[in-house]
Amino acid sequence: MSEQESTTNKHLSEITLLMYVERQLDRDSAQEVSLHTQTCTRCMNLLRALDRESRLLTRAMLEQDEVLPARIANFQFMVRRSMQWVWGVIFGLAVMGVYALYTGYIEPMEHQFEQAGFSGTNLLNLLVFQGAFWKGWQSMFTLFQAIALAVLLGLVVFAFRKYIKRGSALAMMFASLGLLGAFASPASATEFRKGDTVQVHKNEMIQGDIFMSGQILRVEGTVDGDVFAFGQQVDVSGHITGDLICFSQSARVSGKIDGNIRSFTNNITVSGTVGRSVTAFNEVFTLDSNGSIGHSLTIFGQTATLDGKLGQDFLGFFQQATLSGFVGGSVEGKGASMNITGGAEIDGKTNFEGDKPPNVSSDAKLGSPMEYKKLEHRGAERGGGYYVWQIIWAAAFILFGLVLFSVMPKFASEVVDAAENIGASFGLGVLVLPGVLIAAVITCILIVGMIVGISTLLLWLIALLSAKIVVGALIGRWIMGRTSELWPMVGRMAVGVLLLTVVTHIPWLGGWAKLAVVLWGMGAIALGLYRRLQPVMAPNIPSVPMGPIGTPLPPTTTVGTA
Amino acid sequence: MSAPGQIEPTELIARARAGDTTAWGDLYREYAPAIFRFCRRAMPTREDAEDATMEIFMKLRDKLSQYDQSRSFTAWLYRVAANHCWDMLRRRKVRQGKETEDVDEMPLEAPEPNQLEKLIEERTSEEVRKALDRLGVRARMALVMRYYSDMSYDEIADALGVRRAFVGVVLLRARHELRQALGDTSVLAVGGTR
Repeated sequence: MSEQESTTNKHLSEITLLMYVERQLDRDSAQEVSLHTQTCTRCMNLLRALDRESRLLTRAMLEQDEVLPARIANFQFMVRRSMQWVWGVIFGLAVMGVYALYTGYIEPMEHQFEQAGFSGTNLLNLLVFQGAFWKGWQSMFTLFQAIALAVLLGLVVFAFRKYIKRGSALAMMFASLGLLGAFASPASATEFRKGDTVQVHKNEMIQGDIFMSGQILRVEGTVDGDVFAFGQQVDVSGHITGDLICFSQSARVSGKIDGNIRSFTNNITVSGTVGRSVTAFNEVFTLDSNGSIGHSLTIFGQTATLDGKLGQDFLGFFQQATLSGFVGGSVEGKGASMNITGGAEIDGKTNFEGDKPPNVSSDAKLGSPMEYKKLEHRGAERGGGYYVWQIIWAAAFILFGLVLFSVMPKFASEVVDAAENIGASFGLGVLVLPGVLIAAVITCILIVGMIVGISTLLLWLIALLSAKIVVGALIGRWIMGRTSELWPMVGRMAVGVLLLTVVTHIPWLGGWAKLAVVLWGMGAIALGLYRRLQPVMAPNIPSVPMGPIGTPLPPTTTVGTA
Repeated sequence: MSAPGQIEPTELIARARAGDTTAWGDLYREYAPAIFRFCRRAMPTREDAEDATMEIFMKLRDKLSQYDQSRSFTAWLYRVAANHCWDMLRRRKVRQGKETEDVDEMPLEAPEPNQLEKLIEERTSEEVRKALDRLGVRARMALVMRYYSDMSYDEIADALGVRRAFVGVVLLRARHELRQALGDTSVLAVGGTR
């Protein structure tokens, strides 16, 4: 301790010296510190040390030790690019699927329906609920649950993305998957077999489902599960405890199937036993005299021959049908012609709607008198009243659109802009149309509760109804040009909606046009919502070069500028 | 608060406020690196810093209309960043149920000047940055606000929600905590990125 210092009774506190260094003391206090440190070596040293510490801290803080990570250097650009990639994939898959379905099955069927004399307006419904993969509500429920959970999870993650860190998001995903796994029923193994000739041999037993693909597919043994067969020729002489889902040129079932047959084939012959129902999209369907179907039979085809035993109802859309076997329920037929031979026995009602009256043998045993109705083609069906109603509906749509445009003009405009991005809108529509509906229904029943589910359902319905308005507004804008004012926008929407109403009533094309409009419009609404929720800062932020950053933002580096 | 000689991007800000997306891009390019480094010092992990940087600029978009052009843009930007980071840290702390403002209880014994000088001389900037990771969130935040963005005591008090008179104490405690972390050689030996 120096002599001078010994004269000072008390050292200054560290906080006082720090405040002095930081220039936070008032003038008088600062002068006191200044005077004191002139005579007190210890306090002077501490003052200098604190000042040096401040400089060290500032230097450590300001050093450019890290460059801006690529993720945030061009984060907006990255989001846009990844979105395009996702939409591309979604849309590509959807187009491929629709194209394959259409060219492989729908188009030939449409041709047959046309020959059979009835239109395709109900085709979508029939495809969904009576298609190959529809296994009844109960069976489909598990699948719906999984899809709904996935959709809900996605929505939740999206909604709370700001608050979820990557680690917790991953944990959440794994937890959800674990939860799904925990509640899922133990799945049996699925086998895949491929080759020119694929067989399940006579003494072979397959536990679980099997996917078979090849030229010739034979099931001679036992499959304890479903069989999915994709081939030229399918022959089932063994035993299938589940369903047969069959895509082939020809199929023959002489064995036993405990479940259902769903077939998309050129011709199929059933001479064995089917425990439940058959749904067939075929050119030729034959139920052999030895064959039997436990439940119902639904046919879309050119020629149907029923010699065997059918436990319940028969529903057929065909060009020509011949019934000479036993039908435990009723018969509903629609087509060009129908023959009921002497050996036929039908316990329920028999209705036929066709171009000409059915040929019914006097020896046939019918539970009730045959009812025949001449087939009226769609053009004749639609009288003046029908078109008046369509005009009323179009007007209602325009009115609804007017309300929407008036209540939220900015959002409406954004949605119409989004619809211009056709690929993305379609892609999103494919996801949103079924996804949100399923999620809403399941939410009502299972997960969150009635209120959330019903609200979601209502929003979905509003979006469904608004789809035509959105697409109409865009088409109107394409025809009449852009505008940002309300009434011209409504005018363009009205023109578009009227045009769409006309297009959606063109025979054959109309149903598909309706579907396209719904997908496009709903997708555009979802895209508009997404863009609105997406915090877009600057759509064209240029990337920052990944080298050393040029000029940093230099905060003041001097210490103690109060 | 802006650096002497630094020109405030008045025109750029005006264009960004008018909705010019190119101006937004330029603003982001100019200021994002500095804000990222600020967040990197303030937040516990690199990912947190990246997220915080993006969120700050998103927030900026909404708040730019509130910016008073007669004042320093840089200072205002740092204030937004500091508030955002502190909010994030505080929310996380509440969520984790940790009220570890621990250092409040630490006795503040003045260091021996020579020892402090020695410590400062021996430690590099990198070691200081690593030692920052060992500090409590408030201590670190206070140091970053003061020595990175040169915020005034008033601004620090406002951001941390403490009285102005208490800011000096917070900074002093933070320095003590830092010295302790720097003195712990095992800490410095750990290395690696946070």
